[in-house]
Amino acid sequence: METERTEEYLEAIYKRQAKETPVSTSSLAADLGVSQPAVTDMLRTLDSKGLIDYKANKGAVLTHSGEERALAVIRRHRLWERFLTDVLGMKWDKVHEEACRLEHATSPDIEKGLSNILGDVDTCPHGHAIPDESGKIKREKTTALTEFHTHQKVRILAVDDEDPKILRAVEKIGLRPGAIVTILKRNKDGSLDIEYANKTIALNSGTAAVLTAELAPQESLTLEEEEIPLGKLRPGNTAIIKCYGGGRGSMGRCLSLGFTPGSAIKMIENFNRGPVLVKVHDTEVAIGRQLADKISVIRKEAAC
Amino acid sequence: MLEETEEKVITVALAGAPNVGKSTVFNLLTGLSQHVGNWPGKTVEQKTGVFRQNGFTMNIVDLPGTYSLTANSAEEQIARDYLVNESPDVVVAVLNAASLERNLYLVAELIELAPRLVIALNMIDVAEQQGKKINPESLSKTLNIPVIPIVARANKGLHELVSQIEQECSAVAGLRDVKHIEYGSEIKGVIDHVERLLDDGATAPYPKHWTAMKLLEGDGQINKLIRGRMPAERWPALESYLRENESAAVTIATLRFEWVERMMAVSQEKPRIGQVSLTEKIDRAATHPAWGLLILVAVLGAIFWLVFSIGVPIQKFLDINLIVRAREFIHTLSFMPQWLQGFLADGVLAGAGTVLTFVPILFFFFAAWALMEDTGYTARAAFVTDRFMHAIGLHGKSCMPLVLGFGCNVPAILGTRIIDSPRARLLTILITPLVPCTGRMAVVAIIAAAFFGTAGVLVSIGIMLFSLLMLVIVGLILNKFVIRGESSALIMELPLYHVPDLKLIGLVTWQSILAFIKRAGTLILAVSIIVWLLSIIPNGNINDSILAGIGKFLEPLGRLMGLNWQMMVALLSSFVAKENTIATLGVMLSGSGTDLTQQLKQMLTPAAAVAFLVVQVLFIPCVATISAIRQETGGWRWPTFTVLFQLVLSFSMAILVFQIARLFNCL
Repeated sequence: METERTEEYLEAIYKRQAKETPVSTSSLAADLGVSQPAVTDMLRTLDSKGLIDYKANKGAVLTHSGEERALAVIRRHRLWERFLTDVLGMKWDKVHEEACRLEHATSPDIEKGLSNILGDVDTCPHGHAIPDESGKIKREKTTALTEFHTHQKVRILAVDDEDPKILRAVEKIGLRPGAIVTILKRNKDGSLDIEYANKTIALNSGTAAVLTAELAPQESLTLEEEEIPLGKLRPGNTAIIKCYGGGRGSMGRCLSLGFTPGSAIKMIENFNRGPVLVKVHDTEVAIGRQLADKISVIRKEAAC
Repeated sequence: MLEETEEKVITVALAGAPNVGKSTVFNLLTGLSQHVGNWPGKTVEQKTGVFRQNGFTMNIVDLPGTYSLTANSAEEQIARDYLVNESPDVVVAVLNAASLERNLYLVAELIELAPRLVIALNMIDVAEQQGKKINPESLSKTLNIPVIPIVARANKGLHELVSQIEQECSAVAGLRDVKHIEYGSEIKGVIDHVERLLDDGATAPYPKHWTAMKLLEGDGQINKLIRGRMPAERWPALESYLRENESAAVTIATLRFEWVERMMAVSQEKPRIGQVSLTEKIDRAATHPAWGLLILVAVLGAIFWLVFSIGVPIQKFLDINLIVRAREFIHTLSFMPQWLQGFLADGVLAGAGTVLTFVPILFFFFAAWALMEDTGYTARAAFVTDRFMHAIGLHGKSCMPLVLGFGCNVPAILGTRIIDSPRARLLTILITPLVPCTGRMAVVAIIAAAFFGTAGVLVSIGIMLFSLLMLVIVGLILNKFVIRGESSALIMELPLYHVPDLKLIGLVTWQSILAFIKRAGTLILAVSIIVWLLSIIPNGNINDSILAGIGKFLEPLGRLMGLNWQMMVALLSSFVAKENTIATLGVMLSGSGTDLTQQLKQMLTPAAAVAFLVVQVLFIPCVATISAIRQETGGWRWPTFTVLFQLVLSFSMAILVFQIARLFNCL
């Protein structure tokens, strides 16, 4: 019981530190749902064990050994979350609580087993980095989605809240860590209009606030939204089909062969004259030059 | 023990995209019980057959291969009309496991029309080779449709498929609660609105919801149907609503593919990235503009080499040893009346008999064609030649049939079935007779050799090139002025290469040869007899016959190109078979004692000889070709057009050549 409480505190302090150092008693009390005096008591104990550096009126900072313990717990927590979603198929809004219980009853052998089963995953389902066995963690430079500018193309990193309601809301929109979105409009009330998978989505302020993101990788930033006719796509390049500009006659055939907006398409052969060969929906399809010039695509990556 | 004496008979339709091995499944189930014909009123092949096992009989219908069920082509229209009108007891969707993603699109459409669906997941072995792990159970569970993995080429899984079909039809099975595709609320509103605009019962036999969707998808046939049935005053409202929602077609297709992706997610593990399949490796060469063309030339070279080194000698052997000997033999049978001898020897054998000697040549062409189709090479050949064919408004798929035409125009015209655009197909059929076939080239070679000796080869090649030049010009003219409509763009799947299924190729070749023999036994026989009759009526001598009369009537026209009436008769007789030109000349000139070459030289000036070669090579196609054109265009309109057009073309070109040659006095 004592260990469990210690671990809970260390975990909470670790997470808080990303936002404020030193961590105040009041924020910890809020995060853990206990009274401030109780927090103060516990912090004194932890300080005496050398796990944190606690100064009354200022707050607490993890010591080196305290951080090691915290990261070990976080590792087990996030591995469990992964296991619960990926292996047991649980919804991502249910796994946090389960993991909170399991993390304290996890022997090093179970931890090793989990990590073996899961292979090389490096984040939890919500997008947070999992520390490695030696306790190293990829520093999360967390920037809230709301802090990016209009027209910026960003990659969603994580959902910074375990509240099942919020997680369900995010899932309903279809957003997942790793999704590339473009910010279309920032509204005064903190809500955002974003474009994702060729659709415009309105994010309310509550949802927008819990998402963290980073700028999308450089190459897609420079070639961002470059719309070209399919006939101009170079061999080896991939793109997303934007729209079809030809007559209604060929449209049916194009659609049934999988040339639908949003489909990924890869150019296999293009000799500038004559028909082109593309791969779409896992099949090679030949298209005459004229038709290829009527289909517009958005190039995804720079020529290799 | 329960007694089950009552025989159960059900109808099963096989549906599937092209290149999924549907024909192989069909052949395995039906064997030689199959019947090949055409769908009523269409030039699309219809295959039906029967499967029997322990008092259980399945009448199997092989639906045309289609990617979807929107009427983009005659095939798609046939497939869906069959499903709606005939409501088969079970529909088996044959899918290619190696390109499951594409194939599930058709399933998305089938779900809405076929109450009892069984999925035969074919080529599961090929998929595994490509590192695609497919889980039929999860697919089946998600779709709530039975999924049977099979490998048709190795005859694996067919038993399970049959018993699943049987089980589907048993009384207890009932209709499944198939998970329909959920179209998003936005598009659902649009579909619902169209449904409201439609009258109850106006869409029969099609389901109303389905009809609404097809209208939105821009299906021309359904649009026409509804327009015809709706009160005229209510149509504009629907029409303008459809126009406002033109983008719905794209949305519906996109949603179907999104559904497909969800199905894929549950049923297939992602293959390891970066695996290059054998098909892709071969294709880097086979579809390259330079190497691909070289490969194509090599493939065609091999086919023609086979034809000329085996097929043609057999044909000559049959002609000399069978037909000619049989004719001589009949003439020695003194117990037969003279007219009967003539009928059998000069009518039946010389006409239809000669045409039949071409079966060995056709065998090679039909077999080569089936082989290229089955391995998947035809699509590559079409891809490589597309850039050239484009110049005359055709696309790549027209090239192979035209090349076949050098052997014989008949398989070439039948081969145009691979062209999916009706317009491009018609155009290809109409210019095919301008490809000089072996029959015509034989006549050209003999006459050119007789006149020009060693230079005859050059003249022959010149005539051949002239004919091809005419083909290009005629193609351009027809494309621009005669056949209406937008020239269609090339869009086709390049299927994975297969190891050829020799049984299937044998069967297809056999069916094609059988059809040709039937043709020779009916129409060609009739025409041979008519031409023979014309050549003996009234007194048995060809030189006084009606045919000669026609020749003499045409002599003034013939004179414009330096030809006498005998040459005109020889030309007319090529209608039965192109080779008959020489035989007819032989008969008509046999009285005078000297050999054919000498007589020709006396009769014709060199200029006239060239004119004769021109008119002969461009003249109206032979009966077999005309009958093939009639069959493939579904009526007498285009054969009549071809005959008249080529009559005018051949005469005017020959006259032009003769007059110019005379003018310059060069020959």
